[in-house]
Amino acid sequence: MTAMGQTQDQVFANEREYLTFRLDREEFGIDILKVQEIRGYEPPTRIANAPNFIKGVFNLRGTIVPIVDLRLKFDCPKSDYDSSTVVIVLNLSRRIVGIVVDSVSDVLTLPADNFKVAPDIDTIIDRDAVVGLGSLRDRMLILLDIEKLMAGQSMALASDATV
Amino acid sequence: MSDAQQHGGGAEGDFDLTQFYQIFFEEAAENLDLMEQMLLSLHLETADDEELNGIFRCAHSVKGGAATFGFTDVAGLTHQMESLLDRLRRHEIQPNLAMVDVLLQSADVSRSLLARHQAGGIGEPPSTEALVQRISELALGEGQSVAPIVAPSAAFESTVQPQLQPVAAEGERTLEIMVGPLKDMAHAEAIRELFRDIPGLGTIKALACDQADMRKFSVVSSTSTDELLDLFEFHVSRSQVAIQDVTKNLTVVQPALAVRADAVEAFRATQALPGTMAQDDPPPGTPLAPSPGFGFFDGAPGAPTNPSAYVPPAVEKVATQVKPVEKSNAPLAQVEAATIRVSISKVDQLINLVGELVITQAMLAQNSRALESGQFQKLMAGLADLDRNTRDLQESVMSIRMIPMSVVFSRFPRMLRDLAFKLGKKVDFVTMGESTELDKGLVEKITDPLTHLVRNSCDHGVEMPEERIRAGKPETGTITLSAAHQGGSIVIEVRDDGRGMSREKILKKARERGLDVSDQMPDAEVWQLIFAPGFSTAEVVTDVSGRGVGMDVVKRNITALNGTVEIDSAEGYGMRVSVRLPLTLAIMDGMSVGVGKEVYMLPLSSVIESFQVKADAINTVGHGAQLVKVRDEYMPVVELERVFQIPRTDRDRPSDIMVVIEAEGSRVALLVDDLLGQQQVVVKNLESNYRKIPNVSGATILGDGKVALILDTGALVRRSRH
Repeated sequence: MTAMGQTQDQVFANEREYLTFRLDREEFGIDILKVQEIRGYEPPTRIANAPNFIKGVFNLRGTIVPIVDLRLKFDCPKSDYDSSTVVIVLNLSRRIVGIVVDSVSDVLTLPADNFKVAPDIDTIIDRDAVVGLGSLRDRMLILLDIEKLMAGQSMALASDATV
Repeated sequence: MSDAQQHGGGAEGDFDLTQFYQIFFEEAAENLDLMEQMLLSLHLETADDEELNGIFRCAHSVKGGAATFGFTDVAGLTHQMESLLDRLRRHEIQPNLAMVDVLLQSADVSRSLLARHQAGGIGEPPSTEALVQRISELALGEGQSVAPIVAPSAAFESTVQPQLQPVAAEGERTLEIMVGPLKDMAHAEAIRELFRDIPGLGTIKALACDQADMRKFSVVSSTSTDELLDLFEFHVSRSQVAIQDVTKNLTVVQPALAVRADAVEAFRATQALPGTMAQDDPPPGTPLAPSPGFGFFDGAPGAPTNPSAYVPPAVEKVATQVKPVEKSNAPLAQVEAATIRVSISKVDQLINLVGELVITQAMLAQNSRALESGQFQKLMAGLADLDRNTRDLQESVMSIRMIPMSVVFSRFPRMLRDLAFKLGKKVDFVTMGESTELDKGLVEKITDPLTHLVRNSCDHGVEMPEERIRAGKPETGTITLSAAHQGGSIVIEVRDDGRGMSREKILKKARERGLDVSDQMPDAEVWQLIFAPGFSTAEVVTDVSGRGVGMDVVKRNITALNGTVEIDSAEGYGMRVSVRLPLTLAIMDGMSVGVGKEVYMLPLSSVIESFQVKADAINTVGHGAQLVKVRDEYMPVVELERVFQIPRTDRDRPSDIMVVIEAEGSRVALLVDDLLGQQQVVVKNLESNYRKIPNVSGATILGDGKVALILDTGALVRRSRH
């Protein structure tokens, strides 16, 4: 019974809409409901002694929001900031966070058939945060549980994590 | 019998009232507060119609609301208060201290009853019976001198009654009530419950009734017909109720004897005959013997009782006869509400939006500078207007969060009055600077510590009247509470002219508790000892204060608000506690400093001075700790560049500005590049979306929309100590 419940949950989860974005040559998908808005990159206020991928904090209409460069977090080869650099503002359960990505592709609904379980692989991404893979013709989407990824210890966003 | 309807408690009970509960609770609280204030300032001998009417209106509004929402216990109690106040405002009886006291207590009980309803009716409701009884005793006033009941209602009919009701509202009446036709008999049952729930309303008995959709009751009550109808209206409409007064023709009623017995019984209860009054009777020898119900006052020796307020019953009666006041003519001037209620989150949202507007405006102003001013004259003028308007707007919006200290101060007169009675002391309470404004968030947090300080002053500070006379001081002690702005902070002082603190006793107690003290300690340090946990110098532990929990909590709470506490005392002459607080937690006067390309904000209140230094003025000690000589003092230097690892592009231009800051009693000199300016900044929380950053207390948004971190001066000072 529990097994059935789980598969149903998964089907339900898989039918969600995803926002897809690119980091280097990889394509990622995150739950669209976690996305608050997408905006251009403005240099944030640097925070001393923070990890390099935390670019600092910026002013989102009066709210102080930290900004994480996922390209640095995932060791992408280049991370330039120009007028086309994009920030996805996430509204997570406990905080608002901005993430810097190379580009935002589109919003798509992934049919359940196209959902594949991710094999055990050695990756820099928190294994827990990878929900699965989405195959769309010749494209492969890495489906992320962005909430888990951002709450991870290595993200150093929460106060209990050590510096 | 449908449960749902019974629960709804009304013939038209389908309408959901719960959405209005919050408004009612707020209004009721406001009315009770207002009533308390008016009661406290009431001049007993010269009470005018306006004052009495005002108090009456408050009780009436609370009753009306409570009745509408079905809080019968509150409605019942306030109804009794209203009856007493009604007689007062019609000058049928004279106000006296006992009445004021009972009304104050009733207001308190109403508050707790309301609080219980607000919390969803959890817990035991406070009992109102004793109060209701006392109120009705007082309301009956002159009835005390009349010989015990033979004809209960007749005793009161002699007073002037301008109303059209057949019998005086105050007298017991026997009524026959027909209810119906009703679809649901539960409503008729609910009326019986009313009599059970509202103490003092009277007694009800079901009578035989031959119609199935009707109910017949026999009621013995002193409540007027109109008021009964009002109460019944919660359950059945007026047209469905017929009330017939059968007091005078008792023979008509079948169970006449039983009713008669009930009437006597009920009357005995409300009249509180001498036999049942034993516990409330004044002690023998008290000159006020003919006024039962004042007894509980006399227990407090030295209480500022006012003998002239106790008008002999005979005089009262004369007064009532010459002054018939028609109820309908009573001035019903509605006090216009000068305030509106808005949730604080809306205000905060407004503050945020205005902040955004200011930033946008600054951006526009900056971008327009490049334009040819001759060509865009109108645009420029418009931008200048926008600039002025946004600034005014920001100022006004910021001031919404500020509320006057009188909100806090106003709760103390009542508290001190009760406390002084309890302790048998005489205390005058003086307040100053009540209009001083403080952020709402701070006001809420400062109330408890201040309450504690004021109670302490009354309990430990001010001596008993005899002791004061022996010491050559006026019999009545004075407690002064004052508030004033001083620079960027507000200073609140609690001062008393009591016995002050004894240096020796504190030192002795400190030694007993194993604290490290010496006789040579300066006074200021000795006084600070009382903030140690578990420290109390009270010789007796009373239930007021002195259990040793308190001053340390006071200190901790105030420190948590970035405030400080200072004590000054002279034995035999009194003591003064000064609490210094920032004006608001949300807005701060800041000084922006530049290091490299970054901007940091310093709380202006902690900035002492700033000056330019030459590189050779900085000395090092041991392993690199730097000191700078400021006049005659060597001060540790904190290099912001190093603390915040600020990248530097122009290597050849070292920091050469020192900003001296003070926090937690010590000073350090911060080394920065530039002083950029002073401005009011809105303090933002970093932790809501990010985390605590070392040496940073918060963040703010600058005019250009960028975020600047606010330095935690306390942390920087602590850092320099290690």
